[in-house]
Amino acid sequence: MRPPVPFPDQIRVHPGPALLSGIERGPSLAAHRSQHGAVPRLDSAALTDVVSSVGLRGRGGAAFPFGIKLGAVLDRAGRTRRPVVVVNASEGEPASSKDSALALTRPHLVIDGAVASAVALRAQEVHIVLPGDRPPAAAALRRAIAERDDPVELIEHTAARRFVAGQSKAVSELISGRPNLPVTSWQPEATSGVGGRPTLLSNAETWAHVGLLVHHGTAAYRRFGTSAEPGTALLSVTTPGAVPSVHEVEYATRMRDVLPTTLAGAPVLIGGFHGSWATWDTVASLRVSVPGMRSLGVALGAGVVHAPGHGTCPLALTVRITDYLASQSAGRCGPCLNGLPALALALHLVLDGSGGRDRVEELATLVVRRGACAHPDGTVRLVRSLFTALPGEVSAHATGGCVATGPMERLAS
Amino acid sequence: MTRQLRVDWPACQARGLCHELLPEIVDLDEWGYPIVTGPVTDDLRGDAATAVRACPRLALRVVG
Repeated sequence: MRPPVPFPDQIRVHPGPALLSGIERGPSLAAHRSQHGAVPRLDSAALTDVVSSVGLRGRGGAAFPFGIKLGAVLDRAGRTRRPVVVVNASEGEPASSKDSALALTRPHLVIDGAVASAVALRAQEVHIVLPGDRPPAAAALRRAIAERDDPVELIEHTAARRFVAGQSKAVSELISGRPNLPVTSWQPEATSGVGGRPTLLSNAETWAHVGLLVHHGTAAYRRFGTSAEPGTALLSVTTPGAVPSVHEVEYATRMRDVLPTTLAGAPVLIGGFHGSWATWDTVASLRVSVPGMRSLGVALGAGVVHAPGHGTCPLALTVRITDYLASQSAGRCGPCLNGLPALALALHLVLDGSGGRDRVEELATLVVRRGACAHPDGTVRLVRSLFTALPGEVSAHATGGCVATGPMERLAS
Repeated sequence: MTRQLRVDWPACQARGLCHELLPEIVDLDEWGYPIVTGPVTDDLRGDAATAVRACPRLALRVVG
């Protein structure tokens, strides 16, 4: 099934203040070294210090503190258990383009962050997981890897073309030579990941931030953002009729500043297919912040901002996304395998006015937290947010109407 | 920490023995997969251990 927001053929990467500064000089190793210098050597204490003092959080979606993950790996690591470093650039979320943007413009910053960390951890391998759905980004990373000469081995893998392939357990499975699908996590990756070894696995953007920090230190990093949330984050913005774009913004930037004014009034999906709907009023009040957005029930996640515009019914789009997410289940966990198609069906009935929210909520309760990965949980987050944020759009359908399109919007099959 | 029954979801194939052996804390959903409704209290430890051993898919563990 094609995703309702397609994987982009091309993306527009806007120059930014930190990660995306100097992109006009191209992605070559020579340009990168002249801008940032050689990979600095840090020990594990120094690495812990730089990432923890700025409160660096993972940018894959969960916003987990990187320093805590690093600490868990260090606790577990020893001479007989060398840790493994993993760069997850699989980016299976179609509406996200930020890791592609880094692959195309800043691949060596990403790799430097991972290599410097691997050296600090005495790891011998950096595994780099390329996106299966984005050939240009994968090719750009391959070119970058081929240019390098590092004291650790860089090993490429290509993620399966499936939404759940980027889940951390699924990535560990891929690297361990098994199918690229989620399995039950009895211990976090940091404790027991690839081959049972302590594994420092992070998203490509997170590694680019680590790269900046090891090259230029915390003072440079703190020039952007706020004292509570220093630095920047990448946003992937999709709007009607425009090439998907990637913006590097400082924390505390107003979310509406990355959206065209013509979209004022229309609801926005924040966080992608596993994200949350927000009314325009909420979007207009949002500033880019992990705790600030969390308190408003709209997680920053991996920074996906999908603004379908005035002419798109958010309920109809949610139905199409839920259909897609059901098709992307790995099919291994019963509640997800059975529950997501049932949930999608229940939503179809809400869309055509013949079904109610009760069945949707019953199924949501049945699938949430009952799988090896967060796929059912993310799907439920999306669905519940529609009912919470946009109840008027939903109730209009019960009487055959539609707030966005007036007459009933027919689903494209 | 309280003990919890955890399901290895990719392993579980809805055989339902856990519900037979431990109905106090295992219901079944509409597809026959277990719904864990509460912690493994001290009086249920024996029955929980039996359910873990009896699962034909080895899909149950007591953790914590």
